[in-house]
Amino acid sequence: MTSRTSIHLTINGHDHELEVEPRVTLLDALRDHLGLTGTKKGCDQGQCGACTVHVDGQRVLACLTLAAQAQGRSITTIEGLAEQDGTLHAVQAAFLEQDAFQCGYCTPGQIMSAVACIREGHAGSDDEIREYMAGNLCRCGAYPHIVAAVRQAAMEAAS
Amino acid sequence: MTVHELRTRPADSKRGDASDGGALAGQVGGRLSRVDGPAKITGAAKYAVEQQLDGLSHAVLVESTIAAGRVRSIDTAAAQAAPGVLKVLTPDNALRLNTATDWLGTPPPDVPYCPLARDITFSGQHVAAVVAESFEQAVAAAALVKVSYDEAPVIADLSDAKAGDGIPVDAMTKEWGDAEAAFAAAPVRICAAYNTPREYQAPMEPHGLIAQWQGDQLTVWEPSQWLDGMARTYAEWFGVPFENVRLVSPYIGGGFGSKAFAYGYGAVAAMAAKMLGRPVKLAVTRPQTFTAYGGRAATRQTVALGANAEGQIQSIVHRGVNETSVDGMWVEPLGSVTSIMYATPNFSSRQNVVRVNSVVPGALRAPGENPSAFGIECAIDELAYEVGIDPLEIRLRNYAEQDPEAKKPWSTRQLREAFAAGAEAFGWSKRSPEPRSMRDGNQLIGWGVAAGTYPVRRAYGEAVVRILADGSVEVESSSIDMGQGTYTILAQTAAETLGVPADNVVVKLGDSRYARAGVTGGSRLAGVMTGAVHKAATAALDQLVGLAISDPRSPFHALQPNTLVVTEGRISSPRGDGPDVPIAELLGSVGRDRIEAKGDTMPANSTPEERYKNYTTIAMALPHTEGDYSRHSWCAHFIEVRVDEDFGTVRVSRVVSALDSGRLYNPKLAESQWKGGIIMGIGQALLEEGIVDRRHGRIVNNNLADYLIATNADIPDIEVISVGIPDPHSSALGGKGVGELGIVGVAPAIANAVFHATGMRVRDLPITLEKLI
Ligand code: FES
Ligand code: FES
Repeated sequence: MTSRTSIHLTINGHDHELEVEPRVTLLDALRDHLGLTGTKKGCDQGQCGACTVHVDGQRVLACLTLAAQAQGRSITTIEGLAEQDGTLHAVQAAFLEQDAFQCGYCTPGQIMSAVACIREGHAGSDDEIREYMAGNLCRCGAYPHIVAAVRQAAMEAAS
Repeated sequence: MTVHELRTRPADSKRGDASDGGALAGQVGGRLSRVDGPAKITGAAKYAVEQQLDGLSHAVLVESTIAAGRVRSIDTAAAQAAPGVLKVLTPDNALRLNTATDWLGTPPPDVPYCPLARDITFSGQHVAAVVAESFEQAVAAAALVKVSYDEAPVIADLSDAKAGDGIPVDAMTKEWGDAEAAFAAAPVRICAAYNTPREYQAPMEPHGLIAQWQGDQLTVWEPSQWLDGMARTYAEWFGVPFENVRLVSPYIGGGFGSKAFAYGYGAVAAMAAKMLGRPVKLAVTRPQTFTAYGGRAATRQTVALGANAEGQIQSIVHRGVNETSVDGMWVEPLGSVTSIMYATPNFSSRQNVVRVNSVVPGALRAPGENPSAFGIECAIDELAYEVGIDPLEIRLRNYAEQDPEAKKPWSTRQLREAFAAGAEAFGWSKRSPEPRSMRDGNQLIGWGVAAGTYPVRRAYGEAVVRILADGSVEVESSSIDMGQGTYTILAQTAAETLGVPADNVVVKLGDSRYARAGVTGGSRLAGVMTGAVHKAATAALDQLVGLAISDPRSPFHALQPNTLVVTEGRISSPRGDGPDVPIAELLGSVGRDRIEAKGDTMPANSTPEERYKNYTTIAMALPHTEGDYSRHSWCAHFIEVRVDEDFGTVRVSRVVSALDSGRLYNPKLAESQWKGGIIMGIGQALLEEGIVDRRHGRIVNNNLADYLIATNADIPDIEVISVGIPDPHSSALGGKGVGELGIVGVAPAIANAVFHATGMRVRDLPITLEKLI
């Protein structure tokens, strides 16, 4: 299978034309073809959440999504979360303040999940946050601080 | 090269809270947020295999599907013919490499090394590799490689009848008094076996590398806990000088012991890059991470405690076994905590290793101490119930006032303080002693305690500190940050020593071209590197002050002062009677564009050979019992579990841990690391287990959905309390180890809590529901 197909992706508000094999995942398209390496590959099997991005505002595992499936949709990655002027998203700022990461490898996925979790209205209590963030593994064990960061950002969003 | 141009925000410069003694955030002991944090939360941090190189090709490994036997043939025709394929590597066309020196510095045998195997000793061994233009093409072609085998009988694991009793490891034997006789004569005796399964590091960033040759110069971008050690291995494999190999590892997505060495897949990628004359990327897949290198060996221990009726231990007899591979040697030191935690007049510990068809096991957070503590810290809990004494009280009755093995005083041991602070915060005094006596509806509640410890591993280090023309400061070291906070604490150390704001310091790590560094493992890096940076920064400061005093162009020259002080990046007379100028201005007036100093904690007369050995092997590490003291960090965990009475499901609902890591260089980051260790310990106690297919010697659950690690929903709030005091015998700035300590003692505290909840003693990890119903 060498045939290539051209794909049009809208990522963080920018348009990209790609010539890739149809079997290329959204994750590899981002990381290897577009140099957007902020989205991480932890398992490539849909098991860890490191590759979480937003497609039309919904959290999606980029390793289980073909790039072609994301055509015509609006993709947001960790690189597109802060304001143009560099002002951090409230969730990013809360992660830094609460020390909600160590190695940082799960972190982009955690942050993308957290943004969606708050937007979905699932950050009402610590237990709810734990449950709705359980799909993002963190081997460094930053979980209590992730909960604190999500709680903080959710409260800021509500106020 | 990694430069954190994103400076810390002003809010971070505020005073820290009381737990750090009020140190300014930017100084040693302050709660400065991670200086590499902004890069990590915005996706800007580029990890090693994320470098974008022109002409990159992709390698995919083919692994053995049997665990013992021989490769009969490899049919590569279909793979060769597949679109985009550049090369199919097998033992037949692989380059002949040299065997490399091991991490202990043992000279290697003069035999060729081939990372692709013909003789198979474990399932998942690399037998071939496919390199193609694209990753997808390489994956597809690798599936077309057909390997046929002559299969031999497998020794699947420790419980395999063919495994036998193994080989005694005499170096592990520790004995004093007459342990067997004293045990036989003791009024109270308990004896039980404790088992831990294969466990895996499972860092979220899988292993892999990009290798590129330019002539006989090799550059390797690879996540690494030890750039100089791995550079040495690559250099020896390929027969090029050490200086020709450059390792680059700017950020590491977790290691936990698994990223300290160059492994076979690294040799495959570097070999392919050499043969093809273009850069090769090899990403180890998540399933392959279970066999491309070893996790923690499965272990078995028996612990026999003889005591008097008051619960005072009179004898400990300990026997341990760990598995190793057919042709490699890994010893997981199972008597390491057993021999120092409690005072006993009689002691015996011996250990065997048993060969099984597995990859050679490796280091996983607190190798040795972790399973060792599971044995002794469960056993003393069993003794507490046997004699009817509170599990906390029995630990105090047997408190070791000095190192029972080395017979030396502790450098510092705040374990009594840890028990007191942890018990107070947890509310231990409200515990009802009887098992099954606390409940909340259908949930049985159990409270358990256990202690942990980890030795202070010390080594020599070096660092370069540079004061630049604009008054900013650079710190350079080939050490690394895999989440412990090296970038941050070295910025704090340089800032405090030089008297500049921490946000004026840029720390560069993760490139073997920088000042040399030994392994980041055994919780040694912070102590080694803060000492080296402190020394380098002190030398740079001396140069700066010397210039200011002696250079005729300096505004201080006319004052003829003896010394000057630097604070907040400005240099002035301590009497406050002269000029007060920014460092940049002083450098400008004396015509210097920089001041540079190297700090090196090696003995002054060290030879270049000794330096090389120090940074590329662990042969020169200083024993923790060297000189007059025995040096260790200590902790006490208090844990509440809730066990569903009908279903046997165990949940950890509360954790309070008090820890003695000496002085904390940055409490905010140290607390995170402690909690990370505790969380990994919760997973170890309740979830983690490599399941071996007994017929084929395969790890069945080689992925993150089946090898269960703790998720957010498994973890309650965790309270950590620092009870450490500065320990001048352990490191230059008074810290002891942080990274491994937190996990040690967590699994036994949970097992003890489960016993208190249910009256059932589970001695096999993990504690899963079928063991409770
Ligand atoms: S990389 Fe997609 S879920 Fe792990
Ligand atoms: S921060 Fe390392 S895996 Fe989450």
